Amino acid sequence: MAAEKIYDLWASRNPQWEKRYEDSIIKNFCDYGRGATSLREDRGKVFGGGYEIFIVAFFMGLYFNQKRPLIEDTQKRKTFGQPIQYWGNLDSVKGRKAYPKLREYIFTALVARTDIDFIALEKGEMTSRKAVDMLMQTMEEYANWGFHFMEDKLTDDPNYFFRETAFLEVFLAFDASVAESTDEEEPESLD
Amino acid sequence: MIIKEIKINNFRSYYGSNHLSLSKGLTLVIGDNGDGKTTLFEALEWLFDTTGENRKDSHISEKRKSELEIGESDEVSVNITFEHDGEKEIEKSFTFERISEDNIRTKDYKFIGYFIDGAERHSIAGDRLLNMCFEPVIRKYCLFKGENELNVFDNDTALKTLVDTFSGIRDFDRLVDLTSNFEQSSARAANRELQNDKKVSNQAKELNTQLNDVTNDIQSIKTELNQKKISINEFSSKLELLEKNQETSERYQAIKERIKGLKDKRAKLVAWSSCEYSTNLLDEYWILRSFPAIIKEFSAKVSALSKEKRRLDKQETERRAKEAGEREAISKIQKLANDAVPLPWNLPDEATMKEMIDDEICKVCGRPAPKGSEAYEFMCNKLNEYLAHIAAEANKNSGTKEDDEKPLFPNSFINELHSRQIKLSGDTEQEISKIATTISDRLEFVTKRKAELAEVDKQLQELETEQNDLLMQSGLSAELLDKSISDLRGFFDAKSRAESRVSELETTLKFKESARAEIQEKLSQLEPTSSMTQVYQRVHTAFERITKAFANAKEQNINNFLQMLETESNKYLQKLNKNDFYGIIRIRKTINNSARIELYSDNGTRIENPNGALKTTMYMSVLFAISQITTLKREQDYPLIFDAPTSSFGGFKEDTFYNVIDTIDKQCVIVTKDLLNIDKATGQKALDFDTINKLSCSVYRIEKVEPFNDKDLSTIQTVVTQVR
Repeated sequence: MAAEKIYDLWASRNPQWEKRYEDSIIKNFCDYGRGATSLREDRGKVFGGGYEIFIVAFFMGLYFNQKRPLIEDTQKRKTFGQPIQYWGNLDSVKGRKAYPKLREYIFTALVARTDIDFIALEKGEMTSRKAVDMLMQTMEEYANWGFHFMEDKLTDDPNYFFRETAFLEVFLAFDASVAESTDEEEPESLD
Repeated sequence: MIIKEIKINNFRSYYGSNHLSLSKGLTLVIGDNGDGKTTLFEALEWLFDTTGENRKDSHISEKRKSELEIGESDEVSVNITFEHDGEKEIEKSFTFERISEDNIRTKDYKFIGYFIDGAERHSIAGDRLLNMCFEPVIRKYCLFKGENELNVFDNDTALKTLVDTFSGIRDFDRLVDLTSNFEQSSARAANRELQNDKKVSNQAKELNTQLNDVTNDIQSIKTELNQKKISINEFSSKLELLEKNQETSERYQAIKERIKGLKDKRAKLVAWSSCEYSTNLLDEYWILRSFPAIIKEFSAKVSALSKEKRRLDKQETERRAKEAGEREAISKIQKLANDAVPLPWNLPDEATMKEMIDDEICKVCGRPAPKGSEAYEFMCNKLNEYLAHIAAEANKNSGTKEDDEKPLFPNSFINELHSRQIKLSGDTEQEISKIATTISDRLEFVTKRKAELAEVDKQLQELETEQNDLLMQSGLSAELLDKSISDLRGFFDAKSRAESRVSELETTLKFKESARAEIQEKLSQLEPTSSMTQVYQRVHTAFERITKAFANAKEQNINNFLQMLETESNKYLQKLNKNDFYGIIRIRKTINNSARIELYSDNGTRIENPNGALKTTMYMSVLFAISQITTLKREQDYPLIFDAPTSSFGGFKEDTFYNVIDTIDKQCVIVTKDLLNIDKATGQKALDFDTINKLSCSVYRIEKVEPFNDKDLSTIQTVVTQVR
């Protein structure tokens, strides 16, 4: 049996989000809960599947480096129909392009931003399940903050995100240059 | 009918009550766009409409409507007082009431006329009075909206209506019908007698059969001939237009080509300037614009983990190697002891050995052993062997063996992360760092294309305006100008085919007509035995002649009417174009019995495309002439009401035009924005008193009450001010 990979463990999961964003955000911008997404244009939705706005929300939280714990009551949480491993496949969606690699970047970001004792994990002193739980928590909390951010904007102006460039503008506001961190170690040789 | 006063109450922008007193000659109502000119015109149109109630909510003044509280009501009304065999009045009105916040109810529609008989004022149905004093056919030639409605001969029945109404030919029609009936009856009677006559019966029957046949042939030839002539006429006028407008046509085609080019360009620009800003975040990975920093974080973390893991691994390996090494050394030491008598491993002891190394002296033999010397190295090795022995012993005691030991790191997640890090570095990282540039390039590209698109749209609009102006000026239809040279050839061919058919038909017709004349001659020359039959024959001959005479007279009458209209029109044309070229109006009867107004130069050349002002004055002259004839025939005067008839006039032409209209003895109301000067710097509008003071007519100014909200109709109110 091939060694299990933490990426695969993570990708088979399904993140949770707060139900209260279902109507105000997810259904507002996605074809969530309506079957095939090929009619996106006709319905005037900005995005296709519900997970797309989740990804957007996640990256907002990530770049703002802001997390927001999910509501305690698990009854008030929900998950999407498909686990992360299928996100962005978009095989049959007209006018769209698949973006399978984005999953890997999300994973990369989660590893960078989650405080997991990988040495303990490597030693077997911590279960891989526990580590993936922690990654999922980071993911959910970033996205939760992103949803909260969007909701805030929408409260001021319900049409805020219906401007053509509104989502893009949020991401243009972040610094695109690579942070020149001084305390960073020189990259190691890879031998 | 001379209108003395117009009262408008709460009709659209005419809030509250407004009134205008009209003079017997010209009354000018001057206002700018949106000031209520057309509304004034339409108020009169509404009043003069006798086809039904036609009360609309949109007739109600928004301003008045907005003031009403629930339960309150007011009235919309338009009223004229006029002179027509004594003073009369007509009013159309209805009541409107607010029944809720959002709803207005209209009720009590009234259309009432008043007249004075003796000393008493009587009321009568409004439409009845209107039809008595201002009959629909006359109304048709009295109210004109804009320049385009002025050509009254623009429809096929116009000439007939006019001739029927004013030339008295209608009576003639009855006479023509009557005599033609007599002729037919007498022909039948004469024939019957002839066929019954013993002597000529057989001949008469045969001749009659021939006559019937030939008459039928003639009828069908005439029908076809008529059709062919109409098509030749159409082809000729199209060809004439195309040839004479070659230059216009070429310009039109050039504009069309440019429009087509620009539209193609536009389509490309639209495609280029469209950008899926939101989905590109995902599909094009634009969301990774700021990701390089995260990759750095990830790399740093994984590098550190990797390093730490290797460090721990190395440490562990060293530890294990050391243990293994020591076990080996001990066994070596044990081997040596079998060959010679070994010094016990614990002699000299650890403390003694350390002391000797520190002092660099072998205290066993008493010789110095400086650092780096063989003796010094020997001592150090001896100490290490001692320590290894101790450790090996200790290890032996603990009972653990290297082979049984679990690996320090049973998992390889860090390796997974490490290979991910390697995958990310190099090309992938570089690609991600390019995303920011890709986005800004794309945005810049889209912005530039959008700017280009705006420019193209502007150019397109200009070209389309130019195209429309060209159409307006030339008076040609786009369809006609679209015709290419090959279509022109098609017209020629069709026309010449029709022409050769016409000459064929005409020859046949002549032949058939002479055949018919021959038969008729033969019929008339039959000598019946009965004298009564002879009488019948003569009576028929007489009726035949009378019928022809009436038919000719009818034709003559129409021609006379057109001649009179032409003469009167030319008088007005001359007046309206004082000090300018004007030409001669000819009103031509067309093959299908309608009429065309055409302008000719003195030398007989037709002026195909008179300029806008000349065309307008041409049509107006005909209107004045019709009005003149109406006055003569009805012994009544009727007003002419024009809404903005002079939009194609230039300033100078306007002045002359109003000067002339001012002197024409005819009631005329012109609603216009001429004679209004706009100060370009301040935007202030002021009446052109230089011109107005030269006129003797009544002048009204209509304008919107300031201030108003340009988005709220309920703030718009027209006020009417008498200037003179």
